[in-house]
Amino acid sequence: MSKWKIYTPDGVQDILCDDCYQKRELEHKLRMLFRSCGFNEIEPPAIEFYDVFASEGSGIMQENMFKFFDQQGRILVLRPDITVPVARITATKFKDAVWPLRFSYIGNVYRYNDYGGGKQNEFTQAGVEILGVNTPESDAEVISIAIQALKTSGLENFQIDIGQVDFFNGLMEETGLSEEEISQIRLLMNRKDNVGLGGFLKRTAIRDDLKQLISDLPRFFGSSDVIEKARSYKLNEKSRAALDNISRILEILDDYGHSQYISVDLGMLRDLTYDTGVIFRGFTYGVGFPILTGSRYDKLAGEFGKECPATGFTLGVNMVMMALQRQKIQAEKPATDTFVRYEREGRAAAFELCSVLRKQGLNVELDVSNMNVQEAARYAAEKNIGGVISILDEDNVEIHYIQSGETTRVKISELLKR
Amino acid sequence: MRYLSIALSKGRLADAAVEMLEKLGIDCSEYKAGSRKLIFTDESNKIRFFLVKPADVPTYVEYGAADMGIVGKDTLLEEGRNLYEVLDLGFAACRMVVAGPAELAGKLDSLNNKRVATKYPRIAREYFEHKRRESIEVIKLNGSVELAPLVGLSEVIVDLVESGRTLKENGLVVLDTIADISARLVVNRVSAKMESERINRIADGLRKQLEDKRSGDTSR
Repeated sequence: MSKWKIYTPDGVQDILCDDCYQKRELEHKLRMLFRSCGFNEIEPPAIEFYDVFASEGSGIMQENMFKFFDQQGRILVLRPDITVPVARITATKFKDAVWPLRFSYIGNVYRYNDYGGGKQNEFTQAGVEILGVNTPESDAEVISIAIQALKTSGLENFQIDIGQVDFFNGLMEETGLSEEEISQIRLLMNRKDNVGLGGFLKRTAIRDDLKQLISDLPRFFGSSDVIEKARSYKLNEKSRAALDNISRILEILDDYGHSQYISVDLGMLRDLTYDTGVIFRGFTYGVGFPILTGSRYDKLAGEFGKECPATGFTLGVNMVMMALQRQKIQAEKPATDTFVRYEREGRAAAFELCSVLRKQGLNVELDVSNMNVQEAARYAAEKNIGGVISILDEDNVEIHYIQSGETTRVKISELLKR
Repeated sequence: MRYLSIALSKGRLADAAVEMLEKLGIDCSEYKAGSRKLIFTDESNKIRFFLVKPADVPTYVEYGAADMGIVGKDTLLEEGRNLYEVLDLGFAACRMVVAGPAELAGKLDSLNNKRVATKYPRIAREYFEHKRRESIEVIKLNGSVELAPLVGLSEVIVDLVESGRTLKENGLVVLDTIADISARLVVNRVSAKMESERINRIADGLRKQLEDKRSGDTSR
């Protein structure tokens, strides 16, 4: 059966030529940034045991994973995330290493129906994780690198929203609601479903001031004033500590010089995830989905046998590319500088010339289809190649400039000297 | 300045929505003129409207092709999209219910195999599987759902009810209410951040209209 052989499955794409070039360039810039900040790149396998992601805390629903079996019948998945494998690696292979650890990664992940990839089932994530410390400095460092990553990619207009899950958790402790009720509130809050939230709260017996605060929470976003506003309420220790934590992080980010990109959102939550402290998301124009997400996750490594505080972010490379395109930010295109063709007598000289030019950093395409000068010129014009060098014999060369149409004749020895 | 895009549900909902938006000083004359264009523009406020099928409004908004949309809660529940629901606009009010023959009242649990006919398979599943923790067989229909229990296609139905007249005339009763339905203002998650000023201005304006209307109603 070969009915499907000319198609690609749902949710995957061919990334071609210009797009692929720009993607590699972007990945290169991100890799260089991560390296320059002292991160070690790691590459977990694309295939992992399902068990790695199976716990509730991983934040990935069973039905969103690509699953298959190994020869012993154990369940495998195409990794839906790279942070969880990083925690696995840390807790097993670096448990006795000197902490903190700084890991970075760039790789593809696979999920059904996930908005993290802009509805693609295969997408590229680039991210960093700092493991082994629980300080506002490490959270701020990660947020700062996220901001630098977006700037490096060429985006100028973007916003990072910062929240703290313990603020909400503290409020929920005070309400005395059941787990189920809390997850219901979490869901409504996550959708900023003010209508549903209001209705739900009306049916519960929560303290009035608390009820007011919870129903107003979806509107607690904007500048750092939001934190002051929240402080004016009667809060328990957990919520108060969360606010102090965000304040500290904002203070540090101010010294990084990043304040202009930062906004606070105390109503920000993620359902079903491993977050234990600060959480953040990055937004820009042109894509309807967050382009990066990050958080502190102090409990995740423990699931693999070694308690280890951690913080990190991951950026959607495809999302950022889409944003760059939609915002019409000029990107470099791949270009071939020179097309070299030769007569039989000049063949050896042609090969030598090519290697010299390439060493000088030029992209040189060598004719392999025996074109004559006119054909070569037409081909070069079609492919946006700057010029054609035609090697007539071991000493004589003609240079054709495609744009001006000029032709000059030079000795090969002169050309090699330049 | 960038255009702010609003997706509207074709039909009755759009008429009511346009009326409210006009009161905010947004120019909807192109829409009112009955043009067959798919995009209407208010150049002075830099706002664009799309008219799309109700079920598509959440899709446009989720992907960010529209910054905001006006759509019924039934569509939102059925589509289950990832977006912000910021305001209950009050109009097009009705209820999503489970209905069936009167003899089933209070005995919904006792049915072993439940066949549920509906235009809203997702809502039906969500309600039975998550709220009642019961397995069901969903039978998807495209209209006249009330017929199904009468001819033995299903035991119960999940459908929208406005006055309840159709149910009554066909000998069916409401067995449970799943949700109150009305038109909602929804906003793309990213637009809510990046365009918060302009979106909030519109949302606050609409909220004020609703409050004025409500206080007007009670003083009468």
